[in-house]
Amino acid sequence: MKLMITAKGDNLNSTIDERYGRAEYFIFYDTESGDFEAIKNPFLNDQGGVGVSTAKFTIEKGVNAIISGSYGPNATDVLKVSNIELYKAVPGTVEENIKLFKEGKLQKF
Amino acid sequence: MSKELVIISGKGGTGKTTLTSSLAYLMKDKIIVDADADAANMYILMKPKVKYSEKFKGNPKAYIDPDKCTGCDICRKLCRFDAIDITDDGVYVVDEIKCDSCRLCEIACPEKAITMKDVFSGEWYESETEYGLFVHAKLYPGAENSGNLVTMVKHRAHILSEEKGIEYILVDGSPGIGCPVISTISGANFVIIVAEPTPAGLHDLERVKKLCDSFKVKSGVVVNKYDLNEEKTKQIEEFAKKEGIEVLGKIPFDKCVPDAIVNLEIPYAACDRIKNAIEQIYKRAMELL
Repeated sequence: MKLMITAKGDNLNSTIDERYGRAEYFIFYDTESGDFEAIKNPFLNDQGGVGVSTAKFTIEKGVNAIISGSYGPNATDVLKVSNIELYKAVPGTVEENIKLFKEGKLQKF
Repeated sequence: MSKELVIISGKGGTGKTTLTSSLAYLMKDKIIVDADADAANMYILMKPKVKYSEKFKGNPKAYIDPDKCTGCDICRKLCRFDAIDITDDGVYVVDEIKCDSCRLCEIACPEKAITMKDVFSGEWYESETEYGLFVHAKLYPGAENSGNLVTMVKHRAHILSEEKGIEYILVDGSPGIGCPVISTISGANFVIIVAEPTPAGLHDLERVKKLCDSFKVKSGVVVNKYDLNEEKTKQIEEFAKKEGIEVLGKIPFDKCVPDAIVNLEIPYAACDRIKNAIEQIYKRAMELL
């Protein structure tokens, strides 16, 4: 399955970014192959509507689950109808959170 | 990672800055952030010495290239903000204050004569104050606060706190539940909601509490000027109980508070009648942070 993790940097050792819409990087991680792709948040400097833009982007990327710190109300409305699962990240790195996710230890948001 | 304590209110004029400035007076080892750029007033009480400043961009505004414009009038007719004017010479121009950045004219222009142009909407500052480092911003006339600006000042505060090993970030947020508030709450460790005992005060508290819940951020309530309407204060306390949020404290009304602000003094330092309540709120907020 395809995971999206919000991060402060562009690799698996980066720290989790607590923010969803205004995270610095989005990391897309394939749980089967272990491959990942990091994309700098293209909406970071938009004045508003960032949560919705990010949610749209997430859906277009075909993500199955998201790991982030918190999700805003507008983004949640969009994600709710898309069957994407939302998980609450724990402080630490992207890799640590992926590991916890695989072990079923991350809580749903 | 430093911890972020945010003070917001569903409604303006409830005493958010009174509380934030007083907490800034009491709190040690913190960076102060004014995220309420629409009505930036913390700087009046913090008396900052600006060390660094930078301009920031707001929403891009429409620009009409006079060489490409054929005067077909489509953009002017479509603009819902009446932001497009024709000069005496028949040239189509955009009034940047009226332009809402919606891009409808850009899409509609058959000549592709309209593009969106970046404009500066204000300045942000890094300052030193008697109470610690202070990150704040000022908007140019007609500009509005945005989630982007709030993110930027908070981000700057986090960078500074990491560089200098500072433990707390104290944020004065904006009223309401809009984009800047969403940006203010996102990433906060604890949110203090300041409410006043009026019908609008209770209603707006309900809305902003719901917003905090959607982020799953812990929050607590402070009732300011509680003794002006004890009945409404009771209703606020009942609401808090029902919602399972703690009332951190109640601040009595004191004519000394507006007088202190007029005299550029921090209410806590100037007004004896509110001291106990503020100390109690401070103590409890630090426990919950």
